Amino acid sequence: MNSQLKLEKTATLLLEISSMLMVSGANTNRANLSITRFASVLKCKAFSMISHKTIVMTLTDDETGKSCTRVQNIPPYIINFSTISAISKASWHAIDQDWSINQIEDEINKIKAKKRYPKFVVLIAVSFAGAGFCNIFGGDYINMAVAFFSTLIGLFVVQQSHKRNFNVYIRTFLGSFFASSLASLGVLYNIGESPQTALATSILFLVPGVALINSFTDLFDNNVLNGMVRFSTGLMTVLAIALGLFTAMIIFHLN
Amino acid sequence: MDRSIFSLIEVSIWAGIAAVGFGILFNIPKKAIFTVFVLGLGAGLIKFILLGLDVNIIIASFTAAIFVGVLSMPMSHKIHQPPVVFSIPAVIPMIPGYFAYETILSIMNFTFIETDSIKRVELIDAIFTNSFTMFFILISLTIGVSFPMLMMRKNTVKNMYD
Repeated sequence: MNSQLKLEKTATLLLEISSMLMVSGANTNRANLSITRFASVLKCKAFSMISHKTIVMTLTDDETGKSCTRVQNIPPYIINFSTISAISKASWHAIDQDWSINQIEDEINKIKAKKRYPKFVVLIAVSFAGAGFCNIFGGDYINMAVAFFSTLIGLFVVQQSHKRNFNVYIRTFLGSFFASSLASLGVLYNIGESPQTALATSILFLVPGVALINSFTDLFDNNVLNGMVRFSTGLMTVLAIALGLFTAMIIFHLN
Repeated sequence: MDRSIFSLIEVSIWAGIAAVGFGILFNIPKKAIFTVFVLGLGAGLIKFILLGLDVNIIIASFTAAIFVGVLSMPMSHKIHQPPVVFSIPAVIPMIPGYFAYETILSIMNFTFIETDSIKRVELIDAIFTNSFTMFFILISLTIGVSFPMLMMRKNTVKNMYD
């Protein structure tokens, strides 16, 4: 293969890998590490600038000294830890077995084709998590049932609005509004020992835990810009949650 | 301690279930589910025992997060997954969502509803207490999870146990 063509192909592949990692919820350091690892397998050096929405990368061939610069936009973030795990594993296999570029490409396509957990499994699992939160904050079993169903409805609304391509913060607002409305009924009719707990925990499934944790790990790694961006998106999500909750509380006259 | 042993174990199991629920939302590999449950349960147990001993919630969360961070390293080596895959879902039940909720509620009350000046001062107190507690718990969770990595000055757990 022509060396320039090969370089371009490598750059495209590496950008694809790093954007997959960012979308799946890896921190910036991990995305950088993975690029460096794969580049070393392909006998190249990669230097990249990773921001929240774009990756710029210059790739230099070790043998010919030629270089090539490419830019790629990062699609909307959908957290997927299986992808992170699979890419990490692939990078180690690639180093151990000295993979060629085609082998890496095949593996990445395989990882991309992997299915997520079915939607109803996620619904049930997250609803149990909501009930668990309610228990942790001192609700009794009736409160936990209220939290369970509020979370179920809230997450269902989020999933459906995701399917219809709503803006991410509108999605969060709608989810928070429907979940807290249902839990507000519990407060209104005084269901269970502490219905307030069910209301507070019904919206916790929306809390942007990964964004907030990653924001601080990025700040620790001195990726200050990405850290601040992640913190701001986390804050925006919290605001959307609060707005949904507040709207529900005004409608149901709760203070 | 105001909690009986039974309720302590029950609440820890629910913490483990919450961790797994979030893990599935984040699409963790099937192999990691049990590990996430154990880590979430262990973290919950440590946190609630410390809270029962009247330890500050920030210190308690920090200790539990260190437990998750330290234990996730040998485990990640054993089942061949990067540690983030189960350390983040395991600390999610400790994310201070309740404090965030109280903060926002106090801010909304302060801005839109309350007019009595003494109660407004109380609300300011609530805003500051809750928001700073939230902030410090978040920081301690992050430091706790990445604590072993920071201490060993390594970027990967691969080859560490060979």
